[in-house]
Amino acid sequence: MAWLRVAALEEVRDKEILPLTVDGQRIALYWLDGEVFAIGDVCTHQVAILSDGFVEDGCIECPLHQGRFCVRTGKAQGAPVTEDLPAFLTKVEDGAVFVDPDRPAAAAADAGLESEAPEPNDSAPDNRCMVIVGAGQAGGRAAEAARKAGYSGKLVLIGDEPTAPYERPPLSKGILTGEASEKDLLLFSPEELNRLALDFRPGLTVRRIDRDARQLTLGDGTVLGYDGLLLATGARPRRLEIDGGDLKGVLYLRSHADAQILKQALGAAQAVAIVGGGFIGLEVASTAAATGKRVTVLERDARLVSRILPAEISEDLADRARAAGVDIRTDVDVAGFDGSNGTVSAVRLASGETVPSDLVIVGVGAIPNVELAREAGLSVDGGIVVDATGRTSDPAIFAAGDVANYPHAPNGGPMRLESWQNAQDQAAAAGRSLVGAETRYEGVPWFWSDQFGLNIQILGIPDPHGAVRRRGGAEEGPSAWFQINPDNTLRAVFAFSDAAAIREGRNLMSRGNTVPEDLFETRQSDSRPEGCIGKAVTPATTPVPYIWPEGGMNRIPDWVYTSDEIYQREVERIFHGRSWNYVALEAEIPEPGQFVRSFVGPTPVVVVRGEDGAVNVFENRCAHRAAEFCREQRGKVTEFVCPYHQWTYDLEGNLSGVPFRRGVGGKGGMAKDFDPTQHGIRKLNVTTRRGVVFASFHDDMESIEEYMGPEILTDFDATFDGRKLTILGYYRNTVPGNWKLYHENLKDPYHATLLHTFLVTFGLLVAGNKSAMIADATGRHGTMASAKSDGKTVDSAAKSEMRAYRDGMVLNEPKFMDFIPEFDSPWSVTMQTIWPNLIVQREMNTLGVRQIVPKGPNEFVMNWTMFGYEGDDEEMTRHRLRQGNLMGPAGFLGLEDNEAMKFVQDGMLRGNDGEHLVALDPETPTGTSDTLISESAIRGMYAYWRKEMGL
Amino acid sequence: MSFMSKPIIGEAAVAGGFRKPTGEESRGLRAELEDFNAQYSLVLDEGDLQVWPEFFTEDAFYSVTARENFDHDMPVGLVHCEGKGMLKDRAFAIQHTAMFAPRYLRHYITNTLAIGVSDDGAVVARANYMVLETLHDDPTTHIHQAGSYHDIFARGTDGALLLRRRICVYDSLIIPTALVFPV
Repeated sequence: MAWLRVAALEEVRDKEILPLTVDGQRIALYWLDGEVFAIGDVCTHQVAILSDGFVEDGCIECPLHQGRFCVRTGKAQGAPVTEDLPAFLTKVEDGAVFVDPDRPAAAAADAGLESEAPEPNDSAPDNRCMVIVGAGQAGGRAAEAARKAGYSGKLVLIGDEPTAPYERPPLSKGILTGEASEKDLLLFSPEELNRLALDFRPGLTVRRIDRDARQLTLGDGTVLGYDGLLLATGARPRRLEIDGGDLKGVLYLRSHADAQILKQALGAAQAVAIVGGGFIGLEVASTAAATGKRVTVLERDARLVSRILPAEISEDLADRARAAGVDIRTDVDVAGFDGSNGTVSAVRLASGETVPSDLVIVGVGAIPNVELAREAGLSVDGGIVVDATGRTSDPAIFAAGDVANYPHAPNGGPMRLESWQNAQDQAAAAGRSLVGAETRYEGVPWFWSDQFGLNIQILGIPDPHGAVRRRGGAEEGPSAWFQINPDNTLRAVFAFSDAAAIREGRNLMSRGNTVPEDLFETRQSDSRPEGCIGKAVTPATTPVPYIWPEGGMNRIPDWVYTSDEIYQREVERIFHGRSWNYVALEAEIPEPGQFVRSFVGPTPVVVVRGEDGAVNVFENRCAHRAAEFCREQRGKVTEFVCPYHQWTYDLEGNLSGVPFRRGVGGKGGMAKDFDPTQHGIRKLNVTTRRGVVFASFHDDMESIEEYMGPEILTDFDATFDGRKLTILGYYRNTVPGNWKLYHENLKDPYHATLLHTFLVTFGLLVAGNKSAMIADATGRHGTMASAKSDGKTVDSAAKSEMRAYRDGMVLNEPKFMDFIPEFDSPWSVTMQTIWPNLIVQREMNTLGVRQIVPKGPNEFVMNWTMFGYEGDDEEMTRHRLRQGNLMGPAGFLGLEDNEAMKFVQDGMLRGNDGEHLVALDPETPTGTSDTLISESAIRGMYAYWRKEMGL
Repeated sequence: MSFMSKPIIGEAAVAGGFRKPTGEESRGLRAELEDFNAQYSLVLDEGDLQVWPEFFTEDAFYSVTARENFDHDMPVGLVHCEGKGMLKDRAFAIQHTAMFAPRYLRHYITNTLAIGVSDDGAVVARANYMVLETLHDDPTTHIHQAGSYHDIFARGTDGALLLRRRICVYDSLIIPTALVFPV
C-alpha cells in the first residue's frame, strides 16, 4: 500500500481530531502543535473510540477508562493501558493529508518492551534469583516491571492456577456472557511471556518461607533459594460456613475456572440468588438479569456496597438494579441453603423465609492469602504490611496486589485495596523495587465496575458514611457524586457513566487543589460509555448516549427504531457486516447474462449470471462517477454500460472499457499507469443454497448452512426441497416503519392469534394449535411454525380472549384456504426470518421470499417474489395464486401487518422517547419457545443485535 | 393460462371473435362504459363494498397487479379473484375482519375506449384510472395508484354491462404500505 489521501488539511486543523476509516482500520488524525499525527482510534484496553476522548499534554485520553496514549507515537502512558496504539506515517501535500496505513511510524516501531530496558551489561552477568509467588495480575505485572527495570537475572514466577497470568474483572462480566474469551483475559501474549524470560511454574504452591536461609519449600517438596522474594498471593473468596453451604449450585467466583463453572450453571438456571450486595455480586446480578433470569440479591447490611458507597449512591444503584428486574433485599441474614438431591433449591433466611433458587452465587468479600507471610513471621495486619515501595518487614521480601496492606495516599492509613489498578500499578512499583530500582507508588486509588448499563468509577478513598454532593441527576444520564475533605480538597469521586467527573477529580486530587464551586454544575455530557453513540435529543438539550435501559431484555427503547445514527451503524455492522443477505432466486436468472437489480441493505446491487454459469453480485455503482448504471429491473445483457460516460463492465463487474482512455491526439485521457483492474465495481461474496442467492460484503463468511444453523435449515430445506422454482411474480410495497419491526412481527406469534381474524376463524393459527416459535442458537433467525386445524377446537374461553374471533364466518369459496400437503414437514405454515433481510414464506401452498430493503430508520421496502415449482399443473398454480390473497400488501394478513407496523412507528415518532415492553413468557428468557404467547424470540434477536451493534 | 392472459386488442380482437367497433358504436359504447365506470367509482368511493361484486359476472376474473408482472406475463396479483364468490369473500373480509387505518379513496377513470365488440354484445375495453388515498389523520392526499383497466364486459339478462374480467395494471413498482380497498 502506498500513500492514501485521507483528508483535507483544513479539516484536520479545524476539527483537531478527525476519526477516519482507512483501508478498514479505524484511525484518528490529530492536529498538534502545527503537525498532523495519525494513530489507531480503538483503545487497546477495552473497545472504545479514542477520538471521543480528550487531548491534553500531547496525549489522547480514552473516554471509557481514562487510558492515555501519546498522540505522536501511540505509546501507552500507563494504567489502565499497557499496549501501544499503532501510529502511522503521515505527510501533508497541497493542502491534503496522506497516511500510509501499512507503514507504522518509526517512533512507534521501536516502542516496546525492550526499548525501556537499559543496555545489557555484558561484563557483569546478574547471578541473582528473584522469586515471585502468585501468578495473577499483580505477580505478572511485577515480573514485567522487574524486566523493564533492566533486571536480567533469574526470575521465577510461581502460581497455583494452571494458567498464565490473567486479569479478573471480565470474570464477572464478559466471560459470563461469552463476549470475552480466555485469550482476552491474558496479561501477556505467548510471545510477550516468552520475551520476559521467566522460569514460570504454574500449578504449584509454596509451603514455607525460610527467611534465614532465604529458601522456599515448594508444594512438590523441592527447595528454591532466593535473593529477593515478592508475595502476590492474592485473596480468596470468604466462604459461608452455614448449613447447606456444600450443596451443588452454591458457587463462588474468583478464578477463571470458577467463572467457567458459573457460566455453565447460569445458562441452565432460572432463579438466581446472589448472597452479598457488593460489586462482584451486583455485576453477576446484572449479567444474569440481562439474560432474563429471575435474580434476587440478598444483602446483610441495610444497603448495597455499604463498605464503599455512601447511602445516597447505594440507593441510586439499588434503584437501577431494581429497574433491571433484580429483586434487591437488604437487612436479610442468610441462615442456610435448602437442597434436594444434593443440589440447592432455596436460600433459607434467618427469618424463616425461603427464596427459591436453583443457583446461588456467594460474594461476601475476600480473605487475603497471608498465611505464608504470617508463618514466616512477617508483619501482617489484615494484609501483609508494606511501605510505599512494596517492601515488607523483611528487606528482602516484597508484597503486592490484593494481599498487600499499603500506606495509600492521599488519606494515609494502611489499607488493602482489591482493585485492578492496585494489582497493576502498585505491583509494578513493587516489582521494580524487588530488583533494586526502588520505586514508590503514590497513585490515587481508582476502581471501576460495569453493571446495569452503567460504567461506575470511583476515585480516591471514599468514606461510606460521609456526605456527598451530586452533579447531574437525570435518571438515565450521567451522574457523579463528590466527597469533600474538611479543607475543601476532594476526597473521592463516584461517577455513574460520567468519565469527565473522574478526569476532573483526578486533576484536582493530583494537584491538591480545593474544589471550585462550578464542579457541581451539570456538564455538557462529554463522556460516552463503551459502545455508545452520541445522541442529540433536541438541539437545546444535552446529548445523551444510547444506553440500553435497565430492564434487561424486557424493554426496547424507541431509539432502536428511530435513530439515524443507530441506522447508520446497522448498515455498517449488520447489512455490510458479517451477514448473508438475500439478493435473488436463481430461477430469475437461469441463463448467462440474465440479471436482476437487487439490494444488500440499502445498497443497490446487480445480480447477474456470468458466462461460466456462476452468479455474480456487485454494486450498482459506476467506478467512475458513482452512477447507478443498471436501470432496468431485469433483463439480459452481454456487458453493462454506464449511460453517463460509457464505462463498460463485464458480467463479473470488471472494468472492460474506458472511452478515450488514451485521450485524443495524444492529449487528455487517463494517466499512463491507470490500471483498469484496480477500478472494477465493488464485488460481493456470493453463495447459494437450493436456488436462493445470498451476498455479503465480507469475504470470510461462514457457509450459508452454518450461518443459518440446523434449526433454521430444516424448514428452509422443506420449502426449497429440490424442486425447481417457477417465478409467479412480484409484490413490492413500502412500510413506514423500522425494518426490524418486520422481523419482530414474525418472531411474535402472540400477534398472530389476535390481529389476524382470517388465521383465527379458519383454524390456521389458534392459541392451542400445534405450533412452535423456533430460534437459532444466535437468536437472529427464527421460524414461526404451525399446523392447520379445522377451527372447531377453539374453545369458548380462547374465543372470548381473541377479539378478532368471528364465529360462523363462512367463505363463498372455501377451497382457497385448503392446504394441499406437498412438503416433508410437520408444519402447514412456516414463516422464516433469516437475518438480516430475508423472509421465507410457506403459508400452506402460497410461497414466496420477501426481501427487506431499509430506507432509513423509519421506512423500508418489502420486495416479494412469489413462486411455485416446475411441474405444478394449472390448477396448482391457480391454487397458489388464489391463496396469495392472504399475503402481500393487499393480503388479508399482509395488509394488517403493514398497518400495525405503521401504527407502531407512528406511536414512537409522535410520542416522547419511551420504551417497548417485550416481557411475555418470562420462563423462556430468549430463543425458542413452545408457546405462542411469548416474546422470547424478539428478546433473543435483540440480545444478538446488541452484541453486533456494540450497545 | 387463458384467464390471466393479456386482453385482446387491435387485430387480435378480430381473431378472438371481436371486431373493431365502428365510430358510431364506439361513441355509444363510450357513453355506456363511462356510465358503468362512474357507478363503479361511486360504489367504491362510498365504501359500499357489498355492492361491488354485483358489477361482475358469476365467472368473473379480477386482479390487481403491477405492470412489472403484466408486461412479463407473470400471473401473480395483489388481489386475485376467480369468480364472484371470491369477490364477495374479499368484500366481506375487508369490511368485517380486516384491521387498517381509516381512509377515504377516490377513483378517477378516464380515456375510456371500447376496442372490440362481439355480436353477443361483449366489449373489450380500456380505461385509465387513478386512485387517490386520504388517511383520516393525514393532511395530504396521495396518489395511491395510477394504471389502466384491461376489461372484458359481458351483458346481463337485462342487457346491462357486467365485468367478466377486470385486470387493474398499476404503473408504479411499489405500493405505499397497503392496498385495502378494491381498485
